[in-house]
This record gives sequence, C-alpha cells and structure tokens, in this order.
Amino acid sequence: MSGEVVGVWIGAILTLGIFSFLYKDNPFYKFSEALFVGVSAGYWFVVTFWQYFLPKLIDNLALAYTVLAVEGRIDYHWVYILGGGLGILMLLRLFPSVGWLSRWSLAFIVGTTAGLQFTRYLESNGIIQVKGTILPLIVGGDLNTTIGNIVIVVGTFCGLIYFFFSKEHRGAFGGAARIGVWFLMITFGALFGYTVMSRMSLLIGRMDYLFSNWLHLIG
Amino acid sequence: MNQENMQEEKSFWEKLLAIDRRIIFLFIIVAIALPLFFKVSMRIPVTPVAEGTYQAIENLPAGSKVLASFDYDPGSMPELQPMAEAFFRHAFRNDLKVVIMGLWPQGPLQANIALEEVFQDEDVKAKNLQYGVDYVNLGFTAGNEVVIDRMGHSFEESYPRDGQGTPLSEIPLMRGVRNYDNVDLIFNLSAGYPGTQEWVQYAVDVFHVKLAAGNTAVQAPAMYPYVQTGQLSGVLGGMKGGAEYETLLGIPGRAVRYMFSQAIAHAVICLFIIIGNLAFFSMRKRRAS
Amino acid sequence: MRIKRLFGIGFLPVFLVLCIFLFLQSDFCPAQEVGEVDILEESSTPPPAAPTDVKAVDTPNDNGHSITVTWTLSVDDGAGLGNVVSYEVLRSDAPDGEFEVRGLAPAGEESFEDKGAKEKGDANYLPAGVDFYYKVRAKGDGLFSDSEVSAPAHAYGQWYHTGKTPVVVAVLAFSTFALVFITLARKGKKLYIRPLAGIEAVDEAIGRATEMGKPILYILGLGSADMIATIASFTILSRVAKKVADYQTQILIPCNDPINMAVAQETVRAAYLEAGRPDQYKEENIYYLTSMQFAYVAGVNGIMLREKPATNFYLGKFYAESLLLAETGSLAGSIQISGTDEIAQIPFFVAATDYTLIGEELYAASAYLGKEPILLGTLKGQDWGKAVVMIALILGALAATFNFQFFLNLFRIQL
Repeated sequence: MSGEVVGVWIGAILTLGIFSFLYKDNPFYKFSEALFVGVSAGYWFVVTFWQYFLPKLIDNLALAYTVLAVEGRIDYHWVYILGGGLGILMLLRLFPSVGWLSRWSLAFIVGTTAGLQFTRYLESNGIIQVKGTILPLIVGGDLNTTIGNIVIVVGTFCGLIYFFFSKEHRGAFGGAARIGVWFLMITFGALFGYTVMSRMSLLIGRMDYLFSNWLHLIG
Repeated sequence: MNQENMQEEKSFWEKLLAIDRRIIFLFIIVAIALPLFFKVSMRIPVTPVAEGTYQAIENLPAGSKVLASFDYDPGSMPELQPMAEAFFRHAFRNDLKVVIMGLWPQGPLQANIALEEVFQDEDVKAKNLQYGVDYVNLGFTAGNEVVIDRMGHSFEESYPRDGQGTPLSEIPLMRGVRNYDNVDLIFNLSAGYPGTQEWVQYAVDVFHVKLAAGNTAVQAPAMYPYVQTGQLSGVLGGMKGGAEYETLLGIPGRAVRYMFSQAIAHAVICLFIIIGNLAFFSMRKRRAS
Repeated sequence: MRIKRLFGIGFLPVFLVLCIFLFLQSDFCPAQEVGEVDILEESSTPPPAAPTDVKAVDTPNDNGHSITVTWTLSVDDGAGLGNVVSYEVLRSDAPDGEFEVRGLAPAGEESFEDKGAKEKGDANYLPAGVDFYYKVRAKGDGLFSDSEVSAPAHAYGQWYHTGKTPVVVAVLAFSTFALVFITLARKGKKLYIRPLAGIEAVDEAIGRATEMGKPILYILGLGSADMIATIASFTILSRVAKKVADYQTQILIPCNDPINMAVAQETVRAAYLEAGRPDQYKEENIYYLTSMQFAYVAGVNGIMLREKPATNFYLGKFYAESLLLAETGSLAGSIQISGTDEIAQIPFFVAATDYTLIGEELYAASAYLGKEPILLGTLKGQDWGKAVVMIALILGALAATFNFQFFLNLFRIQL
C-alpha cells in the first residue's frame, strides 16, 4: 500500500470525523479536532522556523558576518540584528520582572504598520474610491447608467451618514441614515450569498475528494 | 377553516421552523453529492469582471512575462485551484513566460500541484516547456506587503534565489527582470491577507503595474470597487469565476463540472429560505390575529 | 391539514422541476474562433516624411532615470501618403555620435518614455545628469526617414511627486482634524458620540453570565496585534475584564496569536488590579490555541460546547470562520455580541449573533468604552474627514453632471 493511498485514507477518515459533528459532538470528532489543532500548531512552528526565522534572521546575519570576516567591511544585513533584538524582547514576556520590555517590540510593530498603511489606504481605498464615486447623476440617452450612478452616489452618501458618530440619528439625518442602513443590509445580503457560494464550493471539493480520490466512484 | 385546522397549521409552521438542523444538513449533502455522479455541463454566462481578467492575459503578446502570485493554502483549493490550472493553460497556450511566487507559505506548493496537473495535457507536453526558461518558481518569502513594495525596486532583494536554491542571476528567465517594470502583468490568486488588496495598494498604485486577480467568493465583492476604478483589470470570484474562466478559454475543467452541484445546492438553499420566511410571516400573522 | 398535504405533495415536484430545468441548461458558450491573418503586400511608395519638432525633456515625477521624447506626427501619418507604420526612437550621447534604438511607438503616437534602470551595472542603465540627444524615425513599407536631432536633455529625480498632491492634502487634513480633537479631548472637552446598541448590550450580557454562573468567552479574532480591529478589541476587553472582575465572573480567552495572548493577559491583569481583585486573576484562562485558522475554530467550538459560556464576544478581525463560531455559539445557547471590520463577515454576524458592531462601529465602541482622549479625538477627526468627503461627493456629482472639469481635476492622482 503506497504512502499516497494511506494519506488519502487518513484524510478521508479525518474528514468524516469532522463531519460527524454535524450529527452531534462525539469522541471521533473530538479526536479529529484535537489532532487537527495539534498538527497545525506543530506545522506552523516548523513553517515559522524554516520560512521566517531561518532565512530572515539567521541567513542574513550569517551573510553579514561572512562579508565582515572575508572582506572586512560592514554589510547592511547587520540591520537584521535589530529585528532579532526586538524578537528577544518579546520573549522576555516570560520573565515577569523584565516583561515590560516586550512593549517596545509591540510599539515598533504597531507604529511601523500604521505608518506603512496610512498613506496606502488613504490613496488606494480613500481618494481613488471617492474619485470613482464622483459620477454624473444624469447621463443623456443612457437610462441604465443614470440609474446606476444615482444608486452609487446616494448609497455611498447615505452609508457615510450612517457611520457618522458625532450626531444622533434624528430627523432628516436619521432618515438618510435609515436609507444607508438599507443599502448596507442589501449589500450584506449579497455578500452573504457570495459567502454561501464559497462554503458550498468547499463542501463540493470535500465531497469530490471522498467520492473521487478515496472511493473512486467518480471518474 | 375551522379551529382544529388552525391549530394544526400553527403547529405545522412551528414544527417547520424548529426542524432539526440535521435534516437540512442531509438535504444539502444530497444536493451536492448526487449531481457529482452525473456528468452534466451547464451553460456558464460570463460576467464583465471575469472577462476583464481573461482579456488582460489574452491581450499579452507572446513572450510577455507574467508574475503569478499564489496567495492561498489548501483550505481554499476547491475555489482557487481550478483558476490556477486554467491560468497555466492560458499562459502556456499563448506562449507567455510565468514567474511564480507566493506570499503565503503553501502558495508556491499549490502552484506546483497545478503545474503537475497541466503538464499532463497533450498540447502543453508538445510545447516542451523548460523550468527556468518558460516558467520559474521563486517560492515563498516572508514580509507580506513589504515584499510587494520591495519587489517594485528589486526582485532580487526579496528573492535572491528561487525555490530550488538557484541564484536568480543563473536563471535565464530572470535575466533582465529587475522589478515590476520588466513584467507585463501580475496575476494574483488570493484567499485573504496578504492578497489582492495589498497588491493593489503597494504594486498597482505605487509602481503602475497591471493586475488581474482571482479571489475566493468571500472576498471577491470587496475587490469590485478596485475594478470600477480601474486599479484591477478584472477579478474571478470563487468557483463560478473559475468556471467562467474555463468557459472563456474553451477548456472546461473541474470548475465547470462542479457548477451543477453548486446550482442544485443554491436552489435547495433558496427553497429553504422561502419556506422559512413563509413560516415566519405566517406565524407572525397568526399571533397578531 | 390540507395545507400540510399540499405542501408535502408540492415540495417534491417543485424540487424535481428545478433539477430538470437546471439539467436542461447544458450548452457551452462557443469557443472563440481564430481570426484570419492579413498578409501585407509589398509597396513601391516613397518613404514616409520624417516627424518634426522633436523635443526631449526629463520625465516629471520620477526617480531621475527617464527622459520623455515628444514630436509632431509625420505628415504621412494618417494623411498624405498614409504609409507610417511606427516611430522608432533613437538616442546618442553626442549629436553626431552613434544612435541606438531605445524603443518603438505605433503610428499616431506623439510621445515615448525612454525609461532606464537606476543600477550602474544594469545593461539598461540611464545615468542621471548626463546629456542625451534623440531623433525619431518614421517607418513604413520597409523604408524610413529620420527627424532632426533634438536639443540635449538629461534626467534628474524630483523630491516631490506633484501628481500625489491630493494624497498630501488628505493626509494633512485628516492628521489636523485628529490632532485638534485629541488636544481638545485631553483638555477635558466633552466630545459627543452617539449611543450604539451593541455597547449598551455589553453590560447586560456580562450580568447574564454572572447570574447563570457560567463563563464569558471572549474571542479577539484572527488578526495580529498591529491590526486596528484587534487593538479596538483590546480596548473593549479592558472594559469587559473590569466588569468581569467586579462581578467575579470567569472569562475565557483562547488566542490565535501568541502576541495577542501576551497583550490580552496584560490587559486582563491590569483590569483585575484596577478592580482591586488581583488575586482572582487566572492566567491559565487566557491561552494560545493554534495559529491555523480552521484548527483554531475547531478548538473554540469544542470549548463552547464543553464549557457552555453564557456570553460570547467576537470582536476583532474575522475571516471565513465567523459563521462557524457564531452558529456553534448559538447552538450552545449563548448570548452573542460581535463586531468586525471585515465586510465579508459582517453579514454572518448580523444573521447569527444578537448584536453586531458593523465596521467602524467597533472602533467607535472602543472609543466610547475606553474614553481615552486619543481614541475619542481620532474618532471625531474621522467624522470631520467623512463630512469633507460627503460634501466633496455632492459637489463632485453636481460638477460631473454639469461637467465642471476644474473640480474633477482636484481629485486626479497621477499614478
């Protein structure tokens, strides 16, 4: 029996184990769940070590050291020592007396990400989208586009009203917020439908695995 | 209608709303599993957003370089793997050169799985494609959007070697490929973060490179604003998007085959939604009266 | 009884009709036909006239390794002999030196960007500050004519990208609004935030858990500690933990990320300290499960079914697991309060949980509950930014309707 066949059988049995939860919680499901949680934790540890820690820290520092030893110059790869240092500060959390030092690492992560993303989100998700929403409300001779443009402009405007937190939703303002909620709910309904489609697709994939790869009932 | 009937109807609707969810699960499983046994192909209408992705690749002249970023894991395989296979068939049919990479650790492995499948096609075999000349797999590198940003200046900074450890300078396909200026299109398959949104923000809007994408159905609608503004050429959404792509290519594959199951499942769900709403409003009316 | 029978009889045929209808939808879209190739015939016409007025200038808003060449179309381009097929752009470092081809532009095109690499070792290196001379060749029918050589031009980089001015204005505007309101909040000025239904339910939900003697389950989501939704969740956790400490209820926080676990432990410990009950803080209730998405969900579902918490909080960044969590929580009979900025997951929370903080309401909730000047100030600053956007939308729509180009150009960003 080849390794691949064994793998398919294990996959099928664990799939059925997880599916058994649909009937009710049972030891078979608990075993499959515990195995999944444990293996995934171990898998992520291995991935983190081989794909993140080793190439990004160890290999880069090794390269910097080699350049220093062979060519006698300081290479820019030494900068990774800062990253390593911040990582060690995070680990100091395990020691209560110096655990506060981990806040420096957190502050660095939060601050860098905020700075990196601030202008990107403002440009790509803000200004360009506002520009895309500035549309003519009447397009001569094209009723479809006219209606579409009005829907987009009104929907965006009323949606923004709903998320305005400085004024209570009363009177005309409340009316506009109400329209905004309707637009939001219609959008959520469409998103819900799309996501249901996604879930069904995943289930189809699993069913195909069971009937095709495992039981060979489908060609 | 007498008092007894009203009592029965009331308890019938109540029973319906309180139906054991396992019965619903059974209906869904049957609705999905049974159609798989029938080799039925459905007519797949193509949406403009999917057409945009197809045209972005179709319009590339032979020899163009496409950077294909595989940003998903096995959990999203049913939706994105058909797109990956269709993309490779499309690219190799049009004699495009493909540079594979991934921002998710399993992404490049998914690309290899798709390649293995596509290399079994007779017309692809006939092209005698060579690794390093017609396609290359750079593998995974950590850093998320920072990698995307860095690659705008230099691919080699993020990928000094390919997935097999060969320095980029020794790979014929990568000679002259410094950064995004030297690729004609980026094709991204994405299941979450980092994914298409990051490619739009850090590659398209900063380095003016063209981007076409395939996403899971969950996040495809979030990409439509980018298509409307022209930041994205097109987006394939979920398994239906994969089926549309296969239809445009004229090479029906798994996605088209699965559409019958998908349609039946959706029909069953719609039916249950209608029944549930009928029951809900009927009960509300009876309580009011 | 009649309706029940009709329903039972009617359901099956409706289902069968649907299947048959879908079965009959079985034709493909036809494959695209391959077009024919036109064969060019040889011509004996004279060469096309040369383009005129060739100018070379530094490409604006770039890193200094690109020169843009413009010219006036050949008189034979689309008129006269009509035999221009393309334009070839040639470059030399001396007006009478050897010219090399830099690229092609199709007929009808009046400009070309000679883009070079910035690395010295690159074959396509275009040094900044070095004068280059250009000429443009009109090509057609195998013949060509060269233009006059242009005046010298050299590339240089710009410090400021003028095409990004709208972004600069937006950054300054938003930053100013936020800083002004943060300053006002710090000075003690009361900043109004409208009440949110989800927030008012938090205290009620915690009280319910205390009465039932069951724990509270708090899920921080699958985001990392640098994500805004996760940070907002930590702020709300601080408030929830303080209430939990006051009521002496148990709180369970299984984490998807080790850093989140570390921050959550600190947050809850601080809350217990503030409530005057540091001895009741149990670190083992805040633990790391796994980083893998669906494995984490499987683990949390197991906890929900075994521990049967009275209240579940789902606040943070959620992806495909949102409905799995909410459905299982509903099955376990918990009251559920959710909030995420992941648009795709909000529908599931709206459908399956009792209260949902939609998108930015999560950030507003953290500002409302935390009452920190920075959070309040930034929220008010965002509101003013939104007000500006709303005004711009209305004015822009009117400008687009009546074609006022000046206003529309204000939003043009050169990429």
